[in-house]
Amino acid sequence: MRRYNVMYFISQSLKGLWRNGLMSLAAVTVLLSCLVLMGSFALLVYNVNENIETVAMLNEIVVIVDYEATDEQVQELSSQINRLDNIREVKYVSKEEGLESERSRYEEYSYLFEEIAEENPLPDVFKITYEDNSRVSNLVYQLGQLDHVNKVNNRTDIANDIENIKSGVSFIFIWFLAILFVISIFIIINTIKLGVEARSREISAMRYIGATNFFMMTPFVIEGIIIGLLAAGFGYLLQVFLYNTIYNAASNDYPMIHIAPISDVQMYVWLGFIVVGVVAGVVGSIISLRRYMKV
Amino acid sequence: MIEFNDVTKIFPNGTVALENVNLKIDDGEFVFIVGESGAGKSTLMHLLLREEKVTSGVLRVGDYDLTNIPNYKIPYYRRQLGMVFQDFRLFDKKTVYENVAFAMRVIGEPTSVIKRRVPTILSIVGLVDKYKSFPTELSGGEQQRVALARALANNPRIIIADEPTANIDPKMKMDIMNLLVKINSKGKTVIVVTHEKNIVDYFQKRVITIRDGHVVDDRVGGMFDETV
Repeated sequence: MRRYNVMYFISQSLKGLWRNGLMSLAAVTVLLSCLVLMGSFALLVYNVNENIETVAMLNEIVVIVDYEATDEQVQELSSQINRLDNIREVKYVSKEEGLESERSRYEEYSYLFEEIAEENPLPDVFKITYEDNSRVSNLVYQLGQLDHVNKVNNRTDIANDIENIKSGVSFIFIWFLAILFVISIFIIINTIKLGVEARSREISAMRYIGATNFFMMTPFVIEGIIIGLLAAGFGYLLQVFLYNTIYNAASNDYPMIHIAPISDVQMYVWLGFIVVGVVAGVVGSIISLRRYMKV
Repeated sequence: MIEFNDVTKIFPNGTVALENVNLKIDDGEFVFIVGESGAGKSTLMHLLLREEKVTSGVLRVGDYDLTNIPNYKIPYYRRQLGMVFQDFRLFDKKTVYENVAFAMRVIGEPTSVIKRRVPTILSIVGLVDKYKSFPTELSGGEQQRVALARALANNPRIIIADEPTANIDPKMKMDIMNLLVKINSKGKTVIVVTHEKNIVDYFQKRVITIRDGHVVDDRVGGMFDETV
């Protein structure tokens, strides 16, 4: 089996890109814009979800222990709680600590607390934070089944709202990405098509000589890949620059908002751009060549 | 050997381009195919190139049964054919050398073989000194010689020339035909589709006349007989 010269294919692709220079430049620019839009949106969604998670973590479950439970029973309950799944942190607040906390909260009415200090009406409680907001209902149910648990307080409505926001954001994110991806492919299709149209006589002559589809398609596919890689490379640099600018500005002006530093996400951005750029290049060139690849 | 057995070609719009054609062309033959426009000559060529499939009948070229050839084998089949067109179909942005070399590159010949073989082929068609020229810098006759060189590049068994003298000046027509005869004398089958009575009559080769999709005359040492 004869082997084709890879350098020949690459040189043909570079010639093709050069011949349709303006269109190639336009394709790289538009694909780059699509990638940066995708990247910006992905990073926005990532940070929004991170902040939503932070809010979700503020939502804690409060387990109220039976008033009559002994110290041993409370200890046993504590270890049972710690063995449960989806637990991030368990904080025990004894009746005394609870009363003290309420006293400092309502300092101006401290005399009232003096009166009830002898017969503290507050129960022991466990304040629980969890790992996964979406599985909180299950955790609440399990806590309710444990011995010596009087009541489990939890704002499941908040948890559900957070989950709904997250899935809504993800839904929009996926559709937005899909639309941008399709646009990217169309751009590549048009660019490659121009190159193919300009060389249609050449391609038809190649067929008579006995060129295989592989031989005819490869330079155009490489052309698509080069467009994708160039767009990914320049897009990445632009994305990092934009992100850092926003990061610096937001960190100074809005310290309450948590924004992940670029070092946390740059590998994913780079990989994402390369994959989307190359896939758009390959798919776009194959689609634009289909008509010409009849035997 | 090329063999048409009861070959019929009907296009999707219902046009019957060829009907029950029976033909045999032996290896090493020189054949003229003549007929008026629309007689079916082009369809016959397209069937030979396997650009079109026969509607019924059997068409064989050498070891290939073109009736049932799978698509992936078609490029390999075409490498046994050398095509020459009336509009030359050269690559304008490639030099004479590159045009011929390209045909070899398409089938994956190594550069060392290409470098050795292209000058030989160019010497056969008498264009060694023009190897750096671009097709647009050549006369019609010279361009057709380049096309012939390209057709010969991969040492095909069959040369098919579609009106090879149509777009060149009268002086060069004989040169091109003499080249085809020379190529035929080296053992290659040559099929020339033409309208040119003078050329057909001059060479006195086998002449197949097609009219309305039928072979109406087939004789060795024939003439261009417009009355058939």
